[in-house]
Formats: sequence, C-alpha cells, structure tokens
Amino acid sequence: MKQILLSTAAVLGLATVASAQDLPQAGSDWYQAAQDTIAERLAVQPNTATAKNVILFTADGNGVGTNYAIRLFSGQQEGGLGDEYVQPHETFPHVALVKTYSSNGQTPDSAPTAMAMNSGVKGKNGMINIMDTVAVEDCAAGADAGTKLFSEIATEMGKSVGVISTARITHATPAAVYARTVSRDWEDNSALPEGCEQKDIAAQLIDQMQAGVIDVAFGGGRAHFLPTDVTDVEGKTGKRTDGRNLVEEATGLGAQVVFGEEDFSALTAGNNAPILGLFEASHMKYEHDRTGEPSLAEMTEAAIEALSTNDEGFYLSIEAGRVDHANHEGNLYRVLADGKAFADAIAKAMELTNAEDTLIIVTADHEHAISFNGYCGRGSNIVGLCMEENEAGIEHNGTPNLGADGKPYTVAGYLNGAGSVLIEQADGTFSGSRPDLTEEEATDPDYLQQALIPMSSETHSGEDVAVFARGPWSHLFGGVIEQNVIFHVMNHAVTAE
Amino acid sequence: MNRRHLLALPLALLAPRAVAQDGPILLRDLYNKDLSFSDAALSAEGGRLAVEGFMAPPLKADSVFFVLTKRPMAVCPFCEPGMPWPDDILAVYAKRIVDVVPFNVPIVVEGVLELGDEVDPELGFYSKVRLTDATFRRI
Repeated sequence: MKQILLSTAAVLGLATVASAQDLPQAGSDWYQAAQDTIAERLAVQPNTATAKNVILFTADGNGVGTNYAIRLFSGQQEGGLGDEYVQPHETFPHVALVKTYSSNGQTPDSAPTAMAMNSGVKGKNGMINIMDTVAVEDCAAGADAGTKLFSEIATEMGKSVGVISTARITHATPAAVYARTVSRDWEDNSALPEGCEQKDIAAQLIDQMQAGVIDVAFGGGRAHFLPTDVTDVEGKTGKRTDGRNLVEEATGLGAQVVFGEEDFSALTAGNNAPILGLFEASHMKYEHDRTGEPSLAEMTEAAIEALSTNDEGFYLSIEAGRVDHANHEGNLYRVLADGKAFADAIAKAMELTNAEDTLIIVTADHEHAISFNGYCGRGSNIVGLCMEENEAGIEHNGTPNLGADGKPYTVAGYLNGAGSVLIEQADGTFSGSRPDLTEEEATDPDYLQQALIPMSSETHSGEDVAVFARGPWSHLFGGVIEQNVIFHVMNHAVTAE
Repeated sequence: MNRRHLLALPLALLAPRAVAQDGPILLRDLYNKDLSFSDAALSAEGGRLAVEGFMAPPLKADSVFFVLTKRPMAVCPFCEPGMPWPDDILAVYAKRIVDVVPFNVPIVVEGVLELGDEVDPELGFYSKVRLTDATFRRI
C-alpha cells in the first residue's frame, strides 16, 4: 500500500502530498531532503545496456564500519560535522551488503576475496584463483585447479585491462586480476619451494603482459621484479634469486616502465604499448606520507586515459591497498587519509566515464576489528575523543565522555592490535589500564586507537562489507549477496545482448 | 633499582646540550616530508639528542642495537617475509646490552646523533641516521 502511495506521489508531485498531509514537520530541511531522496529513487531506471567498461574499486579492509569512519573524516576535513557528508560512491543508485567469508575462513584474507570477485567462486584463505579442492601451497595439485579470470574474459572480448594498487602490485588483491597461485606469499621466485613448477606472481604479471591480457599496471613491489644484485632507483635491492630482471623483460616487450612521480607524469597514452609503474620497492606510501609518487586518483586518471584508447572498452581494477595496512597498525588517521584518497579516485573515475556505458563497482574485500563507541555528540572528531552531546544545540559541547574509570575514550577503537591497553610485562604476562588521553594526543596522525586484545597486528573481521554500483546492470546488486556474485554481475554486464 | 632505572639515570644527570628545552623531539621531526633531514636533525648532528619513539623487536638477542620507529612496529600477517623497514627510522646503538621494551611502549632514547649512510658491519643493517652511546627509558 505504501508503495502505491509513493508511486502516486511521483505522478502528482511530492510537494502536493506533503502539503495535502499538512504535517507540521513538512517545512523542515530534513523532511524536504528526504522527499528529494524519494524523488530520486523513483526516477531510477535499470540500465540494461551492454557494459563497454567495468571499473572495480576495492578499498582493502574498508567494511561498513571503516567506510563510515572515512565519511566522517572526509566531512570533517571540509569543516562539517561529518555525518552529513556524502562520499562519491554513496550517490550510486544500487547497493548491497556482501558476505565475505572464504571457503575455509569465517574471517577471510584478501586472497580468496579477490578471487571471488575475479573468478566468480570462493576460495581458501591464502590462495588466489585456485579451486578450493586444493590444499594451500599444494603446488602440484594447484597446477590443474586454476580458474579463468575476468581479465582474460575481457581480453577475449577485445577489451583492455588495467590493474592499480597502492600496495605491491603482486599483493593479493591486484594479483587476483592476473595470477593463479596456491600461495599469496609467492610474490617472487625466492619464495617458491624447491621443485615447484608454479610461476611466482611477479613473473605471471609479465607473462600476462606478454599475452596481451594486462595493458596497464601501477603499484608498488619493485623488489619482486628485480634480481638481488640489482639496486633500484631508490637504492633498494631486488629479491629475485633466479637472476631475472622483469623490469628489463617488460621493457623488451615494448612496455613503458616508470618508477616515480616524474616519469609517471611523462607517460604517453594511445600507442598500444603496455605500461608498468612500480613506484616503491614494497608498498607505496600511505597518503599522509606520500612523496615522489602519484596519488591513487592520478593513477586512476592515467589508466583510464590509456585504456580508453581501445574502442572495445576496458576492465580496470583499482585498489586502495593501504586502508587495510593502517587498520592492521591500529592507526586510524592513516586509514582515513587513504580512504579519502580512495574516494578521490572514485570521483575521478566518475568524472572520466559515462554511466550509460561504464559499470563502476565500489566495494571492499573484508572488514577489520574496528569498533565504535557512543554516545558521542555530533562533530566529535572521528579520530579524537567522544564528546558529550549538546542538549541545547547541535554540535558537541566540548566535554569528553568518560568511562567508568574516569578517563575519556575515542570515538573509534579496535578489538585487538598494537594499541592494546594490556602491555607485556617483564615476566611475560599482560596487564595494564587505559592511559589517560587528551584530544591533542588522540588526533595526532601517529596515534594508535586503544585496543583490547594484545596482538602485534590488528586483525580482519568477517563482518559484511558494502557494494555500491552505477552503470549497466548495476541494479543486479541488492539485498545481501555472496562476494563471488560481484564477478557474475560484471560478467553479465559485459556479455548482455 | 632495576636495570631500566640504571639506564635512565644518565639522562637525568648528563643535561644533554642538544636537547630542546621543552623535552625530547619526536622521531618524525628528524625528517622532512620528502624524507630529507629536517633542520632539527641537521642542527643537532654530532650532539646528544633525546628522541621519542618505539623500540622495534630487536633483530638480535643480547645486542646493543635496536631500531626506533615512530609508531609501534606492527607486523602485518599478510606482509611479505623480511618486510622492509619504514624509511623514517632511527638506528640506536646503546651504551649497554639492550633490555628489551615491548614494541608498543613509548620510550625516550638519548644519544649522539649521527647523520649519513652507514652499514652495520656485523648486522649488515643499513641506516641513514643513528643515535650512538645511547640510553633509553620508558615514558
């Protein structure tokens, strides 16, 4: 009945209904904004065109909770209270919740989650694009249990493929775009067990470049492409023990290879040569610390510019890989600064593509053990202390809420990790109490939010993540879905007649 | 009085000449954003300096050497074996064998500031900046 009423409202005009009902709250900004939202929702029509391009954005470790924190951070950076801020992907018309567990893990790591999105099936923790009938690190069995990748399907359709990550380009999420491996740790040959015929991940990237599958790759991980006796542009040595210099091999394939902000800026698109950007020996820098490297938005722009020269379209996977790493550190400030850089990259992709022919999907691979306290007044700094609500106004009153121990607490914290309030004692036991805390200390970019269980690194969690989508067939996202459904939406979108 | 108190004593007694009046500097203040040395580092070179940070789990037991990091050196379980150190660290050579402090407990290290590339002959550890003849204490 309610639905019929709303449809009627669309015909008659929502303002008419509001005034007809003569509600005392109808003049409120909240009321009007909600009416506008209803009008927008009523105007949404499914796009059943064939997708020319697909862009898959993944912020590693950016579950619903982390995404919420990034929203507040971004809004507060602009001078707002934070809650009201709308991230670019939060304007997308279609959203679902995503179940991220893996074949054998209630809590997934980034290998099977990326596999789910790139192969359409779930896999085991630690393995990438290998069927879950195989045991982790079973080299021989893995050789016959690889999946076909969405990048390979797209290539067969004549599309170009790009992969970007702020982590190492051989790290799990980007690796799942082009590689199959029974161990995510086999990023170069030195990690392979003796007698194992499987190629390492870096070597597989070059193979896929040679095969014409990968056209653009930007990220970190230079050391996995260089032999141990070669020093890179930043004075760091390679890790390969097979003597192969994959950078030279890529150049030999005709690829443009770049290592820093300067040569990145000089890249030329449109000559149909592959592009390889390796901006760090290991992971690229956190956005807060970034120097001499392109931003995620800049890499996104360069990749779209290069891939768009193919009239058949492209598949581009873009990962903000270090949202996850900062969460592992328990350092919320860097989580959120990298999250904002992720949102900026999404905005850039929206600007450079057309929703009529480009499916953009924004998601995460998994959530973390991040958690949120209450009852904070509006405008409490998301990395700072949880302030009391202001009963006479809107913004918090500047007085920190206190725990039963008489000490203030931050808006966000972690269930485990390096910020644990339990400290190892000389006898090996753990004990302690919550340190006292000022707003200045809590908002310092190097501060670690308080955590409960002591661990050297904070953990992932199995909590749902969200998926936001716009463009062809994005309306297939809805409800609560398994993570591997994402592949099937992409595959349907590019193949739909 | 335990070992830690003994180690802390010189800090109070020596009145280091290069320490700012308002206490130790943060490790991050030794570097500019582009990872070049800051004016604070350059002006303190060769003198005794107190620096606040965290002791990374030592590379070797019963050693005078450890690495000071600006945040606790969390070990990512999904990071590569032999993960490289952050760029902005400080190599510390203590006066005495190091009494290990947990990686997430803030400490102040005081020693002679040395700038410039060096490779530790025993450990092979490459450093750009060091504190030598150092003492440290928990904050």
